[in-house]
Amino acid sequence: MSNKYVEMGMRSPVNLTWEVTLACNLRCNHCLSSSGEKACNELSTAEALDLVEQLHTAGVFQVNFGGGEPFIRPDFEEILAACHVRGIMTCISTNGTLLTPELVARLASNPLVAIQVSLDGARRETCDAVRGDGVFDAAVEAVKLLAATKIPASINTVLTTHNASEIPAMHELARSLGVSLRVSRFRPSGRGADNWESLRPTPTQLIAFSDWLAKSGDVRTGDSFFSLTTQERQGLGLNLCGAAKLTCCVSPTGHMYPCAFLQSDRFEAGDLRTSSFQEIWDTSEIYESFRNLRIHSCEECTRFDQCHGGCPAVAWHLKNDINGGDPECLERCVTSIADNRLELAA
Amino acid sequence: MAAAGIKLHPSCRVRQEGFGLLFYDCKGPRLLFAATGTLLPADFFGTVRARDEFPDGTSESQKPALQKFVTQLLEKGFLREQ
Repeated sequence: MSNKYVEMGMRSPVNLTWEVTLACNLRCNHCLSSSGEKACNELSTAEALDLVEQLHTAGVFQVNFGGGEPFIRPDFEEILAACHVRGIMTCISTNGTLLTPELVARLASNPLVAIQVSLDGARRETCDAVRGDGVFDAAVEAVKLLAATKIPASINTVLTTHNASEIPAMHELARSLGVSLRVSRFRPSGRGADNWESLRPTPTQLIAFSDWLAKSGDVRTGDSFFSLTTQERQGLGLNLCGAAKLTCCVSPTGHMYPCAFLQSDRFEAGDLRTSSFQEIWDTSEIYESFRNLRIHSCEECTRFDQCHGGCPAVAWHLKNDINGGDPECLERCVTSIADNRLELAA
Repeated sequence: MAAAGIKLHPSCRVRQEGFGLLFYDCKGPRLLFAATGTLLPADFFGTVRARDEFPDGTSESQKPALQKFVTQLLEKGFLREQ
């Protein structure tokens, strides 16, 4: 990652997360956006299509669609088509329960689409405890449908304390189904905040995961785990938070935020109903503050070059301070375990 | 014999930034920051080009560096031979 160029400022995000709806047919315990009912005043089809045109003009390479469950939106395929006709790559995060052979066949007709299906355990019981009864089987069926096409497909797993020991088995499951594995970081936003203490991985689990990840080069993590990145994975992804620098988030109602995990009034960068996408990207004070964010308290750390202070969203949700450094970075996990051992010994 | 044609890989995109060209490969994803300034237009490899083809106005002194850069893009998979 060339920080020098990132710090010069990008004319637009490389990619962005667009939560096209808050509506979801599931109620996962860790949902970052507390999805369920459709939000009041979600972007209309015309507004969504206008946004796609703005993203194209801005030069955005890829849109990562999430929600809610994107396929609940009746016009979602129309929005996808608008992206594809403009050459914008798309990646869809779905719970998989609404994927039918007919829908998958339509999606497979375009080479610019990739799909991630959420699955939160290698065992049915582990996954369904978080996502609801019957979801494991439905998601596996969806993955099988996708694996039979040319669509780049992956299983996306949020690492929690309950599935931490199953991640190698998830890797094997993904391999046996013919797709890749992506592991995402559990962050304390949305319902994830309500269930933080019961779902968060322990420091020991995070360190074990970091070690396993170092040996599993084909497992992707998005930008989730740069706070845990070991030397072996350097060069495989970001070594700093890309929020407002390389990426950003658009909510179902057209509000823009630095990332999907900071969708609150405090971090609102702008409203697409009153400003253009480019105006918000160029002039938002919130985005400017993220671009200038320096985690000085972490600068003496030996791992600073690998994570630059980690995830500001986790720092905000746990410490109410985006300047405070990631409380769950690898260094702090090690320190936390050492402190506990000292306390036990005393 | 004419050189093989080269073009941007279908999984890649490129755009102009202040420092030069920003390449993106969605399979990864990977980024490549190229401090090319305005030497190479972002849409240059949107169509098939000969290996020894350069944008109009490229000086003789610039050509070796650009040729080396094209070779690197091919090696890294951002361009592919047609």
